Amino acid sequence: MIETLGLVKQFNDFVAVNNLSFTVSPGEIYGLLGPNGSGKSTTMRMLLGLLRPTEGTARIMGHDIRTNIVAAKRVMGYVPEEPVLPERLTAWEYINYVADIWRVPRGSEREQEIEELLVLLDLRDASDDLIETYSKGMSRKTSLVAALIHKPRVLILDEVQAGIDPRGAATIKEILNGLRSRGATILMSTHVLEIAEQMCDRIGIINKGEMIAEGTMEELRVKAVGQSSLEEIFLGLTGGPDMQLIAKFLEDAGAST
Amino acid sequence: MSFPDLLILLKQDLLQTFRVRRVKGKRTEQKSALRRFLGPIVAVTIGVVIIWALVMFGPFLWPFIEDVLRSEGGLGIGATLFNALMLFALLGSIMISATTVGNSERMEYLMTMPISLRTLFLEKTIIIIFYNSMIWLVIGTPLFIGFSILSPYPYAFLSVPAFLVLMLVLVSIGVAIGGLLGLIFSRILAGRRALKQVGYALMSAIGILTGTFWYVSIYTDQSGEMFRFIFELADMVGLSSNLTPGYAVSVLTLGILVGVPLTLPELLVPVVYAVIAFGLVYATAIVSEEAHYSGWLASGSKRSSKVKVEIGERTWDPQPFRRLKFNNTISVSIWYNITSIRREARVFTQYLLGPIRLVIWMILPAIIAGESALDITGYFIIGAVIPFATLYGVYFAGYETVYEGKNLMNLQLAATNMQDYVKGKALSAVPFSLAASIIVSVIIAFISPSLILYLPVLVGSITFLTLASGSIAANAAAMGGDFKAERMITRQRGSAVQMPITGWSMIRAQLLPLVLGFLGIYGVVLVGVFIHPLLSYIAAPGFMALCYRLYGSYSHSAGVKLAQIEATKYL
Ligand SMILES: Nc1ncnc2c1ncn2[C@@H]1O[C@H](COP(=O)(O)OP(=O)(O)OP(=O)(O)O)[C@@H](O)[C@H]1O
Ligand SMILES: [Mg+2]
Repeated sequence: MIETLGLVKQFNDFVAVNNLSFTVSPGEIYGLLGPNGSGKSTTMRMLLGLLRPTEGTARIMGHDIRTNIVAAKRVMGYVPEEPVLPERLTAWEYINYVADIWRVPRGSEREQEIEELLVLLDLRDASDDLIETYSKGMSRKTSLVAALIHKPRVLILDEVQAGIDPRGAATIKEILNGLRSRGATILMSTHVLEIAEQMCDRIGIINKGEMIAEGTMEELRVKAVGQSSLEEIFLGLTGGPDMQLIAKFLEDAGAST
Repeated sequence: MSFPDLLILLKQDLLQTFRVRRVKGKRTEQKSALRRFLGPIVAVTIGVVIIWALVMFGPFLWPFIEDVLRSEGGLGIGATLFNALMLFALLGSIMISATTVGNSERMEYLMTMPISLRTLFLEKTIIIIFYNSMIWLVIGTPLFIGFSILSPYPYAFLSVPAFLVLMLVLVSIGVAIGGLLGLIFSRILAGRRALKQVGYALMSAIGILTGTFWYVSIYTDQSGEMFRFIFELADMVGLSSNLTPGYAVSVLTLGILVGVPLTLPELLVPVVYAVIAFGLVYATAIVSEEAHYSGWLASGSKRSSKVKVEIGERTWDPQPFRRLKFNNTISVSIWYNITSIRREARVFTQYLLGPIRLVIWMILPAIIAGESALDITGYFIIGAVIPFATLYGVYFAGYETVYEGKNLMNLQLAATNMQDYVKGKALSAVPFSLAASIIVSVIIAFISPSLILYLPVLVGSITFLTLASGSIAANAAAMGGDFKAERMITRQRGSAVQMPITGWSMIRAQLLPLVLGFLGIYGVVLVGVFIHPLLSYIAAPGFMALCYRLYGSYSHSAGVKLAQIEATKYL
């Protein structure tokens, strides 16, 4: 369960997140959509205690992030937009490290679980290499395995599918669906509208830090009359490409070639 | 705070630095056992050599050492050394805690773990203390082992564990105070960008100057002239200097070694300091936590400018110095170099004042000799400006070439003429060494008017020496630079000496320019002084021409190396 209560984040004079309130219930995948720089990552980083909200707060499984962030972090798994991992550890070492911190009991059961996750995400072959040798997608998968190993009840995934191969993306989709049916609370952001449409139970669209539309696909369709696809709804709300400017650019570019 | 968490964090941090087991993976570059154990092997070798040397030659030295230490005030000398050790740790870590907090993005994976940030920052502080202690551990431990073998007193060997523990206490106090100072300082400057830059500059300058004066005071044996007021202050509030941490440590380590009987208070004072050290370290963790949450250190650099920048010219062609026309690559390189250094006041000051650390050793003899040596002081000062030229070359062209890091990719893709790019970097150091040489010239003009005649030659030669040094350093950087080193975090892992250019390359970067500078510039000046002034004006163009040749050829070979450097080196 994630409840955000009037979250505000201000960087100097710039308001990145403005009075955001939404709820994600157990057994639900909530998709956070919005243009670049609209405040998705900032919101997630506040939920994880990486940034202190300027105003407002949030509760994770009932733990207030302002007063009890350690307890909140204990139930959360997070895959950041750009995972920064300990470069001088191997994936195997890193995941065990994470498991130690979350007090997952050591033993063959834990090893087997790590092994299974690594195999599922095609990482087994690289898991004895230092993380610094990994490709982008491999780092993200490593980060995902680390987030899953302690069986979090709340998952926060910032563009987890970006840069993942099709097989990996399909695997992630199945895993997330499975976790949802077991009652996990999942908040994810993505720019791929098909993913949002297929996977998310509810969608929140934010723009310039403010929630401009929220609901299930059905509810969004009802609100945006005459627009049926998520892309149409999204562009309708946040603005489509500037065709005039594009035409001008192409003209200029054409002149120079 | 949770102790088991702390242990897990420490274990992982150390595992990353000292990896004993081989990495099994196929992708990872395998290091031979020798290379993996190189650090410990070197440390043990140094230790064994020190102990051996002491046992071999010590018996002659021992009576002297014992005499000095047992004499009135003898332990005070030890106290000065130990206080210096503490000050070292302090000065070396002034910005460390602030940097650690400021770069917390790099520890995001740690910060999302269910650990209180206090535990996390405590662990980082402990690691910093550990790195700062390493050098004393490697040098000090064998010294004490050796001396306790020599010492006839039955309990002398106790000085070894005493040293280990108390050295850690001293370094902890130093690191914690340094860290707190940096954090408090950042708090004061929070959110004020201009002030912050000035503050960083001041702070770095103070760090460099205090450090230098401290060495001077040890060297000239005035036992800390600069710090006398601190001791006087201590006296005034009833603390005698015998209560400094260094003294307490000196009594317990050197005192035990030479069998000075201990009193109960002398045993208790170190315990008090240990408690204080623990308190300070813990306080650093608390303040770091607060600093993180309140966002004093949140980097403002990500903020985009509020003023919209209009694109004025169609072809971008910055000219760093009006009037002087360079080709496009050189001028862009100069502009980029100066801009990226200038943006960070801390780096800028470090670069500008850095040479003072070296120079002080050259003018020290003149300072000590004092009045009597006024005649030759001018010559010493001429010598002092040479490191400015060579080190500016190393910083502006050597270090900055390394800090190009990922940008090398852009340069390679754009097929930039790297020779010109390197030239630009060397050129960007010229205004600064020119300024230094002019300042020095004015000083010389006052001290040794007889040298005035040679000042134009000096200024000219220094300019060309800077160019040569810059390209030599860039060439060394291209060979042995750690292109993944980041300027921002060079000190983050706690090692105060992690250099962008390592090992032999660093020596290569400095040695030739220094030799060239000293031979050349003294040659040019002395030829005039001893034979005929006119000769200086004949020799100088020769020296400049030589420097210019070196500048050309080293820029060329640096350029070739940089153009061919493989992407894995910097990505
Ligand atoms: N540390 C910071 N300091 C200043 N401004 C910041 C900082 N972090 C984020 N911002 C600003 O906050 C706004 C929201 O950023 P955020 O990263 O949350 O966007 P996002 O919705 O995740 O975008 P994207 O789709 O590109 O990932 C941006 O305008 C960004 O410039
Ligand atoms: Mg984002």
